[in-house]
Amino acid sequence: MSNLFGLVLNGLSLGAIYALIALGFVMIFKATHVLNFAHGSVLLLGAYVVGVTNDALGFWPALLLGIVVAALAAVVIDVVIMRRVRAADLGTLAILTLGVDVLMVTELTRRLGTATLTTGAPWGTSTVDVLGSSIPLSRVIAALVTAVVVGVLWALFQFTNWGIAMRAAAADGGTAELMGIRLNRVAASAWGVAGALAAVAGIFLTSFPSPGISPTVGLVALAAIPAWVLGGFDSFPGAVVGGLIIGVVTTLSAGYQGDLTFLGRDLAQVTPYAVMLLVLLIRPSGLFGTKEVARV
Amino acid sequence: MSRPPTTRRVRTLAIIAVVLVALALPLTLRAFWLQSGLFAMAAVISAIGLTLLVGRSGQLSLGHAFFVAIGAYGYCYLAGDPSSPLASGLGLPPVLALLGAVLAAGLAGALFSPISGRLRGIYLGLASLGLVFLGQHILFNAVPLTGGYNGRNAEPFSLFGFSFSDGTPEGLTVLGVQFGGLERLWYLGLLLVGVSWWCARNLVRSRPGRALATIRDSEVAAGVMGVNVPRYKAAAFIVSSMYAALGGVLMALVFGRIVPESFGLTMSVDFLVMIVIGGIGSVGGAVVGAALVTLLPLVLNRYSDLLPLLAQPGSSGISAADLSRIIYGLAIVLILLFAHDGLAGLGRRLGSSFRRNADGPGSPDRPMSDSPTTKELAR
Amino acid sequence: MRGGGPVAEARGATGSSAATAGTRDALLEVTDLHVSYAGSVQALRGVSLWVPDGGIVAVLGNNGAGKSTLLRAISGTLGREGGAIDGGSIHVGGEPIGRRGASDVVRRGVLQVPEGRRVFAALTVEENLRAGGTAARDAAARDRARGEVYDLFPILRERRRQRAGLLSGGEQQMLAIGRALMGSPRLLLLDEPSLGLAPLIVEQIGEVITEINRQGTSVVLVEQNAAMALRVADHAFVLEVGQISLQGPAAELARTDEVRDRYLGVGAEAAPATDVPAAGATATDVPPTGATATGAPSADAGAARPAGAAVHDLVVEGLTVRFGGITALTDVSFTVAPGSLHALIGPNGAGKSTCLNVLSGVYAATEGAARYGGRDLTRLPRHQIAALGISRTFQNMALSSTETVLDNLLVARHRHMRTGFFSAALRLPGARREAAAQEATVVRTAELLGLGGVLHQLVSELPYGDRKRVELARALCAEPGLLLLDEPVAGMNFNESVAMEEAIGTVQRELGISIVLVEHDMRFVMGLADRVTVLDFGRRIADGTPAEVQADPDVLRAYLGTEQEEER
Repeated sequence: MSNLFGLVLNGLSLGAIYALIALGFVMIFKATHVLNFAHGSVLLLGAYVVGVTNDALGFWPALLLGIVVAALAAVVIDVVIMRRVRAADLGTLAILTLGVDVLMVTELTRRLGTATLTTGAPWGTSTVDVLGSSIPLSRVIAALVTAVVVGVLWALFQFTNWGIAMRAAAADGGTAELMGIRLNRVAASAWGVAGALAAVAGIFLTSFPSPGISPTVGLVALAAIPAWVLGGFDSFPGAVVGGLIIGVVTTLSAGYQGDLTFLGRDLAQVTPYAVMLLVLLIRPSGLFGTKEVARV
Repeated sequence: MSRPPTTRRVRTLAIIAVVLVALALPLTLRAFWLQSGLFAMAAVISAIGLTLLVGRSGQLSLGHAFFVAIGAYGYCYLAGDPSSPLASGLGLPPVLALLGAVLAAGLAGALFSPISGRLRGIYLGLASLGLVFLGQHILFNAVPLTGGYNGRNAEPFSLFGFSFSDGTPEGLTVLGVQFGGLERLWYLGLLLVGVSWWCARNLVRSRPGRALATIRDSEVAAGVMGVNVPRYKAAAFIVSSMYAALGGVLMALVFGRIVPESFGLTMSVDFLVMIVIGGIGSVGGAVVGAALVTLLPLVLNRYSDLLPLLAQPGSSGISAADLSRIIYGLAIVLILLFAHDGLAGLGRRLGSSFRRNADGPGSPDRPMSDSPTTKELAR
Repeated sequence: MRGGGPVAEARGATGSSAATAGTRDALLEVTDLHVSYAGSVQALRGVSLWVPDGGIVAVLGNNGAGKSTLLRAISGTLGREGGAIDGGSIHVGGEPIGRRGASDVVRRGVLQVPEGRRVFAALTVEENLRAGGTAARDAAARDRARGEVYDLFPILRERRRQRAGLLSGGEQQMLAIGRALMGSPRLLLLDEPSLGLAPLIVEQIGEVITEINRQGTSVVLVEQNAAMALRVADHAFVLEVGQISLQGPAAELARTDEVRDRYLGVGAEAAPATDVPAAGATATDVPPTGATATGAPSADAGAARPAGAAVHDLVVEGLTVRFGGITALTDVSFTVAPGSLHALIGPNGAGKSTCLNVLSGVYAATEGAARYGGRDLTRLPRHQIAALGISRTFQNMALSSTETVLDNLLVARHRHMRTGFFSAALRLPGARREAAAQEATVVRTAELLGLGGVLHQLVSELPYGDRKRVELARALCAEPGLLLLDEPVAGMNFNESVAMEEAIGTVQRELGISIVLVEHDMRFVMGLADRVTVLDFGRRIADGTPAEVQADPDVLRAYLGTEQEEER
């Protein structure tokens, strides 16, 4: 029983990281209707910058730099590339971001080489005991940070002009434009915030218990896609709930792998997708997504 | 669409020329090129299926690799040696195995239709992404069928004792060129590509093709015109899956051995890249896009020593593999930035400006049409 | 304030007299504006108008006359719809704004209240106002503006924490106006603020507009409800198919026969009287069921319709439609006799299109039934409704614009064809024969409607009027027994709409099919219909022959609403 409890706890903390990534997907999708394949490489870029600079700068300045660089990279992608093709269809936009992803991942992979960088995070490899279950300290912090981020985002959306503009633009871009809201700025800022969130997630994804910064970290970001889809494409609460569900599903299926051998090895890699397909079968717009309305 | 007679004649001549060249190529090409060409042909067939699905019926799919895998593994299983200790098979004649694999993929497409029929746009795209991961998981774990991690061999293709993979019957020589496995497979590939292309073109201009195009543009209008929308959407998925599988069979034949690793997210996304840079919905665009995406890395790797800049293996710097990825990424970004309706759209525009110049001023200017898009999908 | 001059006829390409007259102290000045969409469709052809500083100007026109295009051009949002300014200029306060971005136009004090209100439904009232105030200079200006808006609309202050989606239609319109006022506009553009609102609320909106203007904001009021607009405005322009056809002081314009006839709907009483009995006779001549298949249509019509669908009674009983909390139709009943032309009329937002959408299976009915040929249409999926021989057109057209006209028309033959995926892919002889035969049928119908010359063009290349005809031709190619037409002449000029009227009349007489026609152009309907059902706010308020309906006091009140109030 304590095993189950520990797995769920671990899952929730992993889910918190997925939630950060999924929030970025939602943000970009709401603002620009783009399925952003480059999100993973932005995440990797953030982690890479921290890995390269933390020796010289110390961890916290390096972290700040990593977040800024990742946010800037996302803004540049939007302003330099995506802005020119706003009206293009979903498939074209997605493939464009894929092109960007290929470029970034190739360069980062080359730079990373075979050496494994570490983030030099102060929480190191320590673990904490929560009611008898041992959890990596980094994951506990990840969960706390996610909670704070979600709270801050919520407050931004409720109380700031930027948040109101963002929500108005996402709800009805045409009308928002008529009210003088600058859609391009809203879009760029959404990409920037998503990039920053990705960098934060990147730090936790490359902290203990994972070995360090490797090119495959970008691919891990894709594991947040089921979380995003599950919650509903345009729902911030959905991204958080979806992230937590996928986190728990992942750790549970890894933890009970031994009892589920008939389902094959590496079960944890597919259960998120299986859960996602099941949910979509029952709720085609995800758990919290806006339903499509047929119009004539 | 009707074209002026001169344009149509030019087109026909061009097609005949391409076919003749393609038929003659094995006489001159070396093995590397033949093999690369065959890879491209396999991709072309599958990509045609995807462009029919995405461009004609408006259903975005990131799950194409799953159906390609069903084709490849289906063929290997159906044609495989029943007595093999590792991954056994049914030992069917290769032709039947090919047909069986294609039908199996169609069936899988039909089984997925309860999901594909309910979802639209990005939801469908990412749900189908789930298929790829599920599929790969099965490939890794259903060892008796698939050989697991190590994959399994593809039974050589043969028809009435004439093998397309090795030299039986011996000593087939054309104009002094020994026709071995690759040369023979080349013609099988050409035949399959030709049939696939022809069928797709026919479909697009037919009753089902028009029904799908109407569904793409407005499901409401299609329904009101009497089209059974869910059924046609499912049918489009089935047809596309069968194309994917046929490409998969050819892929298995060219590789000779297939492993689960190949049929992942990368392959699915590559197919989408092919049809997007070719121009979504254009059969010709899918052919060009597939050839480009398949051949580019192969050629770059092969001729990397001719390029300056490149570092030798082992040293730091840009390797040939890196360079081919960078060119791939750049090509995607640049093509879509400057022609977001893909190469087919670019071709149409160039063609019309050429015609305009040729006809002189005053000829009707065909405005650039929006390429058939998945624009509606995002709603 | 401008005015006093006689009503000017400005039928020329540019309306040059208006343009030159408008250079003095004009806050907004539009000169010889040409706008087209996708490089081909001309939406505005030389429009000139001006708004004096501190004035209220009404722009009247039917659906598709170019009103929305004009507003998009002024607010800099044409690009979003694929439109572009081909010529002419727009000046605000003497400076050109024609080609700048939308947010720049807003910052120069031009704010628009979009058609259909389009409040941000998920945001609260207060947040909606904040969204409108993002362009304000500073927080102080924003707070001041918000205070003014709350003073103007006390109800919004009461409901400031509510979600905008929960407000009533009238409150939403107030919110939409308030939202635009948050930007402290010098010029307020109102796009059909009376759309779908009760006469009493329309009156209120009119008063609000007058008050806003009194506080120093100039107003452009784009309306189909001419009565309210002409009472509120100082000066008015009538837009017709992309051109200014009339302009002058509002009061004088309201007295001209043309405006009274076309936009106020009065003065047309006598017109249909001669047509009605003839059309009525056609309806009574037709036996109840299946008669048309044995009838003797003319050669042309026969060619268009080789094997007709059976024609049945359409009986609509107690139809109620709700979307979320909004009731679009309430207990609507009417009967369409076989072979008759039945018109559904009513003001914008009365539920006419909703009714058509239920009959064609696009919307689900909440309650009630629609019986046709022994089946209840409200329980059938769309394609099975089509299989009963019912086809329709769409108000905004639902054509595949990247396909040819021929391909669009051939889709309508879908249910008459058998070719499946297999035979199509292999071009089996049966498929080829069928394709050739069906193509011939379609070509005949297209030629009947004068589309023979454009069959191989892409729909996107056609002008608006031609597309409307393609839309009708497609519905006819389906060989319906019951044809549903949703505003077939919206956006057409007078000649085009007369031609369309003739075409529809011919189709109905020659083919003997039933037609349900949704329109709000009274004149058009009265000339064609055998029977008319009038809807208002989703309820049936009258049903009868055109003559009966026109004499009905309820109809006069609903349709001409404000005219009545003036008489009171």
